[in-house]
Amino acid sequence: MGRRGGGSGSAATMPGAERGSELSEQIEAFAARLRRGGERPRSEDTARQTLSLLRKIVGNGRWSRAGELMDLIRTEGQRMTAAQPSETTVGNMVRRVLKVIREEYGRLHGRSEESDQQESLHKLLTSGGLSEDFRTPYPSLRANVIEAINEMLIELEGTTDNIAMQALEHIHSNEVIMTIGYSRTVEAFLKEAARKRKFQVIVAECAPFCQGHEMAVRLSKENIETTVMSDAAIFAVMSRVNKVIIGTKTILANGALIAVSGTHTLALAAKHHSTPLIVCAPMFKLSPQFPNEEDSFHKFVSPQEVLPFTEGEILAKINVHCPVFDYVPPELITLFISNIGGNAPSYIYRLMSELYHPDDYEL
Amino acid sequence: MSTEDLIETFRAQLRDDPDVASAVAAIRALLGFLRQDRGETIQGLRNSLRDAIDTLSRVDSSVAVSSGGELFLRFISLTSLEYSDYSKCKEIMIERGEIFLTKVSLSRNKIAKLCHPFIRDGARILTHAYSRVVLRVLEAAVESKKRFSVFVTESQPDEAGQKMAKALRKLNIPVTVILDAAVGYIMEKVDLVLVGAEGVVESGGIINKIGTNQIAVCAKAQNKPFYVVAESFKFVRLFPLNQQDVPDRFKYKADTLKTGQNLTEEHPWIDYTSPSLITLLFTDLGVLTPSAVSDELIKLYL
Repeated sequence: MGRRGGGSGSAATMPGAERGSELSEQIEAFAARLRRGGERPRSEDTARQTLSLLRKIVGNGRWSRAGELMDLIRTEGQRMTAAQPSETTVGNMVRRVLKVIREEYGRLHGRSEESDQQESLHKLLTSGGLSEDFRTPYPSLRANVIEAINEMLIELEGTTDNIAMQALEHIHSNEVIMTIGYSRTVEAFLKEAARKRKFQVIVAECAPFCQGHEMAVRLSKENIETTVMSDAAIFAVMSRVNKVIIGTKTILANGALIAVSGTHTLALAAKHHSTPLIVCAPMFKLSPQFPNEEDSFHKFVSPQEVLPFTEGEILAKINVHCPVFDYVPPELITLFISNIGGNAPSYIYRLMSELYHPDDYEL
Repeated sequence: MSTEDLIETFRAQLRDDPDVASAVAAIRALLGFLRQDRGETIQGLRNSLRDAIDTLSRVDSSVAVSSGGELFLRFISLTSLEYSDYSKCKEIMIERGEIFLTKVSLSRNKIAKLCHPFIRDGARILTHAYSRVVLRVLEAAVESKKRFSVFVTESQPDEAGQKMAKALRKLNIPVTVILDAAVGYIMEKVDLVLVGAEGVVESGGIINKIGTNQIAVCAKAQNKPFYVVAESFKFVRLFPLNQQDVPDRFKYKADTLKTGQNLTEEHPWIDYTSPSLITLLFTDLGVLTPSAVSDELIKLYL
């Protein structure tokens, strides 16, 4: 995406071209880091980095009209999401920024702020013609969009705290809570509740990476009575559990989850015993995609953890897979706790319409 | 425009273009009626339109015509609120009516584009009776080079399933016609169920050819996704809680209702499927969960 300054090489275009290529390098480096995978990046960090990059594009990029800016962001967004499709936060942040641009443009254009941007039966009947084409240039658009992105960054900082603040309403004394793997959001949630309540936590270790162990160590440091058990024992122990609280990687548009492998088992066991399943996840994890053929959310890593290479001969005769994520259907979930409060899975469509514009669902 | 002319326009639409949805034909006929209306007031216009809609329902008593008519009336009310001068108002209505008709003619393609990614390669699909929207979706799936096979229920008493099978064979899709009673038997072999709808009700449930409810219950029992494809003009302001609540005028053909005989001897032509059995609805307003449907209707009518 090299944006060379057109023409005469004057002092004004040279720094612009340099900034353009430096920005392009930064985006390339970000995409390369995503592609490599490696350590589990924290979703909040990915979101923050994406937003900073997008802010730089808005600030330093060469565009004069809202339409051009949106195309620019869309192209860069496609590049970044193609690098690692399972990191849905990148795509979500791109869509948020696109919606912000539409809103700011609408505000400057003088349109009222109702949600007449959305497709609806009402709009079908009353609209008189073509939709917005984002052609009019507004000089203050750049500053407005950058300010809106700054607000989003501030909101991002506070998400974990907002979720943790709701902990006392959901966790009561002498309860047995079950969780799986290591989620930083759930850790903060439980720690906040532990300041005033006494309860026990059972952590399923979540093989083969066994992140549950780390979770247990961190919780016990706060003097929470923690037990670690293997994934196979989830059903056996479920009858003693009062609540299941988990984190997730992504929330899909129908209210389903893409969470760490083993979560579907946990959810089914909870449903069988009618134990409430609470998902703690910030709103930037909400993705407007539905589970369908593309199945781009799946990620497979080296099966070294499942069956080590030292096993030798048997490896030639079998196939070994190590999927990272699991799909949990919306019927198994009781409540979503996010930074904007608690919601039922059937309400997700509404939250989505507030965060993203339908034209941006397909980047 | 006299009633005979109106009915003739409506029938002509259906004759000339067998692919057009009956609601669209109704709206087109009503737009023609509007053009030729000689009234001077909005109130008069509304009254004559109500009569026109009644006339059309007596010709074709399906839910779709009713929802199309309701939508048209709503359209008139909304437009009349913006302009107080009657002749200007009428001009705008006719203009917007044309735009609306152009938009809805594109809706089937929009739906096909949204829905065909949900059909995987090698999928086995079960569908019910004859639905033009489902046909369009399957056509789009074929165009995107997917291989799949289809089971169609025969759908008595008018054997609509045979018509669907014929249309599918023309697209070179392997199709098997099954008995209505064989749905429970075939459900384990099927990957997903895809049906159209004659009407989408406020709760997110659908009104469709008789037998749809059975298929939905079997699909739920075997954990198969149940997808509905419907255009947005099929949304109706009904909230049936059970099969009884669906008005008789939708259940039976217009001719049967006219004869006024005892309806307990008659077989209904449609049934109601509750939203808890539906996985997703594909409409030209986007992919919706059943709970999102009532939101859309509220946005329109409130």
